[in-house]
Amino acid sequence: MIQRLTSRSLILGMMWIGLGLLKWGGVKNQLLWQALVFTAIVLMGSLMEQVFHYQGDPYILPAVQAIMALGLVFVVRISPEIALRQFWWANIGLLLFYAVLWMIRDYRQLGKFRYLWGLLAVGLLLVTLLFGSAAGGAKSWLHLGGIGIEPEEFVKLALLLFMATYLEENEELLRVGTVQWGRFSLPDSRTLGPFIIMVAFVLGILAAQKSLGTALVFYMLFVLMLYVVTERSLYLGISLPIFLLTGTLGYMLFRHVRVRVMVWMNPWQDPTGGGYQIAQSLFAIGGGKILGTGLGNGIGASTVPAASTDFIFSVIAEELGFAGAMAVLVLFLIVVMRAFAVSLRAKDRFGQILAAGIGILLGTETLIILAGVTKLLPLTGIPLPWVSYGGSSLIVHFILLGVLLNISNATAVSYRSTKNKGREYAT
Amino acid sequence: MRGVRRVALGMAFSFFILSLGLVYWQVVQADTLLKNNANRRLILMESRVTRGGIFDRNGEIIAQTKVSKDKKVREYPQGEMFEPLIGYSTVQLGASGLEGNSADWLLGIKDATTTQAVQQLFALPRQGDDVVLTLDSRLQSIAYNALKGKMGAAVAIDPRTGEVLALVSQPSFDPTNLEQDWKDIISRTQDRPLENHAFSLFPPGSIMKVVTSAALFRGGINTTDLYDSTGSAIINGQVINEQNGRAFGWVNYNMALADSCNAYFATFGVQAGDKNFLTAVKGFGFGQKIPFELNVPTSSITKAEKIPENLTTNLLAASAFGQGEVLVSPFHMALITAGIANHGVIMAPHLVERVLDPAQTVVYEQKPQPWLTALTKEEADKITSAMVTAVTDGTAAPGALPNVQVAAKTGSAEPGGNVLTHAWYIAFAPAEAPQIAVAVLVEHGGTGGGAAAPIARQIIQEALSQKVGEK
Repeated sequence: MIQRLTSRSLILGMMWIGLGLLKWGGVKNQLLWQALVFTAIVLMGSLMEQVFHYQGDPYILPAVQAIMALGLVFVVRISPEIALRQFWWANIGLLLFYAVLWMIRDYRQLGKFRYLWGLLAVGLLLVTLLFGSAAGGAKSWLHLGGIGIEPEEFVKLALLLFMATYLEENEELLRVGTVQWGRFSLPDSRTLGPFIIMVAFVLGILAAQKSLGTALVFYMLFVLMLYVVTERSLYLGISLPIFLLTGTLGYMLFRHVRVRVMVWMNPWQDPTGGGYQIAQSLFAIGGGKILGTGLGNGIGASTVPAASTDFIFSVIAEELGFAGAMAVLVLFLIVVMRAFAVSLRAKDRFGQILAAGIGILLGTETLIILAGVTKLLPLTGIPLPWVSYGGSSLIVHFILLGVLLNISNATAVSYRSTKNKGREYAT
Repeated sequence: MRGVRRVALGMAFSFFILSLGLVYWQVVQADTLLKNNANRRLILMESRVTRGGIFDRNGEIIAQTKVSKDKKVREYPQGEMFEPLIGYSTVQLGASGLEGNSADWLLGIKDATTTQAVQQLFALPRQGDDVVLTLDSRLQSIAYNALKGKMGAAVAIDPRTGEVLALVSQPSFDPTNLEQDWKDIISRTQDRPLENHAFSLFPPGSIMKVVTSAALFRGGINTTDLYDSTGSAIINGQVINEQNGRAFGWVNYNMALADSCNAYFATFGVQAGDKNFLTAVKGFGFGQKIPFELNVPTSSITKAEKIPENLTTNLLAASAFGQGEVLVSPFHMALITAGIANHGVIMAPHLVERVLDPAQTVVYEQKPQPWLTALTKEEADKITSAMVTAVTDGTAAPGALPNVQVAAKTGSAEPGGNVLTHAWYIAFAPAEAPQIAVAVLVEHGGTGGGAAAPIARQIIQEALSQKVGEK
C-alpha cells in the first residue's frame, strides 16, 4: 500500500514540478482543473487497487503512468491549448482503463467473437478509406459529429483480438502443417486462408490510404505473433522476402515511398525541403546533448513539424537530453518486457497469446517511431503510445493496458486459488 | 514459450540499438549538427543572448550588439571594410564568416562560465563572450582602400606567430541593412561579394617559383648553375615561353627568380624530377587542410584535391612556374611567404587572439604553434636572397621601400582564355628580420609588378612604421 502510494505520488509530484516550470498560456484555469482531476484519478485508482485486491503485475501501471505524466508535461510545453484536450483524453482513458480492468470478469469472453473482430477491423478500415479525410499525407481520419477519430488505432484492438482468437484456434495446424511443400510442411489453405485474406485486406487498405507506418506496425504484429505462437522460424523466413518484395514494389510504384526513402538516405541534400522534418528532428535531438537544454528551453518545440504528435520524442530528447531520452526508452522497455512476462505466466493459451500480442504491438510502435525520428529507419509517422497527442491512440492504448493487466490479475488470482485448492480440507 | 522469450530478447536488443542511435546523435554528431547551415538553433538561441562583440587587436570595434528597448541591433561601425571575413548573423539569413564560426564563443556557449551556464539553464537573458582578433584595423584599412574598386584579395601575416594582421577581399558588402540589400548582393554572380576571395583558388603563376625552388635545391641544382635563356624553350615537345618572349641570356638562380625566367624553372624543375617537386609542394601545405578558424579550400597541383604520386613531364614543366593545373588561395600564398620569411617554418595561422567573458577575464588565448616545416634554414636563406634580388634588380622592384629591404616575387598568372592575367605579389620585410608577410592578388589586374606590388608596398610600409605586433 505504502509502496503503491509512494510511487504514484512521485510520478504526480514530477508532473506537477514539470507543469510548474512551464507557461500555461490562456487556458490556465482549465488546465489546472484537468491536472487536478488527473491527479485524483491516479490516486483514487491506486486506492481502488488496494480495495479490490489487485494482484497483477505491479510495474506496468506505474511505468505507463510515468510515461503518461511525462507526455502530458511535454504536450503542455508544446502547446497548452492542445494539452487541455490531451488531459481530457488522458482522464477518460484512465477511467476506461480501470473499467476494463475491473469490469471484464473473464477476458476469455473476448475470444468468443472470433471473426467478428476481424470483420470489425476490415470494416473500420474500409469506412475510413471511403469516408475518411486526409491529414499530413495519410487519409486516416474520420469525422463524427465534430470529433475526429483515427479508426486505425481502434483497428489495432480489433485485430489483436482477432489474431489471438485465430491463432489459439489454429495453433496446432500452423505449427505442424499438413501440406508438404519441398522440405517444408505448410498449413493447408483452409487454415491459412482467413489469415492471409485478413493480412492482405488490412495492409492493402492501409497502403491505399498511405498510412505506411501503421501498415508496418501491423505487418510486424502479424509476423511476430505468428512466430510467438508457432515458434517456427520458417514464418519469419518467409516474411522477410515478402517484406522486401512489397517494399521494392512500393518503392518503384509510388512516388511518396521513393521520396521518403530518398530523404531518409540523405536528408542533408535538401534540409529545407523534403528533408526538413527529419533534419529539424535531428537538430533538436542533437542539440539536447547529454543533459538537455532544460524543460522549456529547447527550440524543437517551435521548429520541428508535428512536435506534439509524431515528433514529440525529439522535443523530449532535446530538453531532457540523452539522460531523459534514455529514461523514456527504459520506461517503455519495462512496459514491453513486463507484458511478455504477463504472457509467460498466463494460465490459458488465449491469455498468453493476447498478452504477447500487446507486448509486440507496444514494442513495435515505440521502436518504429523512435527509429524514425532518429533516422535509423525511414520515417513513418505514427504516434508514440501515451506520449503523442491524440485521443484515439490514448484511449486504445489505455484499453489495451486494461486488457493486459486484467490478464495479469486473473492469472495471479487463479494461481492463488489453485494453490489453495489442495488445502481446502486442511484449513 | 520459447517464441515469446526470443521476441522479447529481440525487442530488448532493438531498444539497445535505439539507444546507440541516441548516443550517435546526442554525443558523437552533436557539434556537427550544430554547425549545419540549416540548423537555426544558434540563431534562435540568440534571442536570449546579447551577442558578444568583435574587436581588432587594438580594441577597435568591428561588430557589437546594442540593446535598446528590448531590441537588439548588431552594428558594424567599419562598414564593408572587414567583409566578407567577419560575415553576418541575422535570423532570416543565418550566419556566415567569423560571425558564424565563432558563434559558440559570441553566444557564450563554448566553455561557459558558471554564471553563463546557470543563465543558460534557466533561459535567462545573458551576455556572450567578446572575441578579440589579431587583425589590425589600420593595416586592414590601408589594404581595403588600396584594393577598393578592384577584384581580388590581400592578406598580411606576422610570419613569426601566424597572426593574421589584415585580410581583405574585394568586392565586399555592407553588413548593416543586409536583409534589405540581400537580393541585390546575391544577384552579383560575376564579382561575388559574399565569397571571400582570399580563400578562393587561383592559378599562382610565377610566384609558384619560390615553391619550385625548394625542389630545385633538393634535386642538386646549385644557385650558381647557369642557364642560357633564349626567350623560349622546348621541353618534351612543349614550348615554354617567357613573358613577352624576352631573352635573359645567361642567368643563375637569383637572376632567374628576379627576372622570373620560366624556362629556367621548367627545365631545372623537370631535371629535379616530379618526386622532389611533389615533396616540396606537400611541405608547403598543398593538398592539406589549413588549420584555421575559417574553412579554406585545399590548394592543389592537379585537378584532384590530393597530391598525386607522379606528374607527367609536361605537367611538371608547367607546374614549375605555376601554370598547368596548379591552384592556390591568396591566403595560402601568404602562409607560404610567411614560411620563407620565418626560415622555413610555417606557423599555424590564426585570427582569434583572445576571448573575454562578460567580466572581461580571458577565457581563451591563442599561442603560436608551428604548422609545417617547409624548408631548411639554408634553403630559406637562398630563396630570400633571390627574392631580395627580385626587388633590387628584377620584376619585383615596384614593391621596394626606402630604408627597408623588401624580399618579394611577382606573378602574372594566366587564368585561361583571352583575358587579362591575374596580378600576384608576395613579399616580406625586413628581409633580414621579417615582421610581416603579404600576399596580394588583383584578379585580371595585368602584371604583378604593376597592379599588385603598390598595394603590398603600402601595407608593408604602414606595418613597419607602426612596429607591427605592438599596441
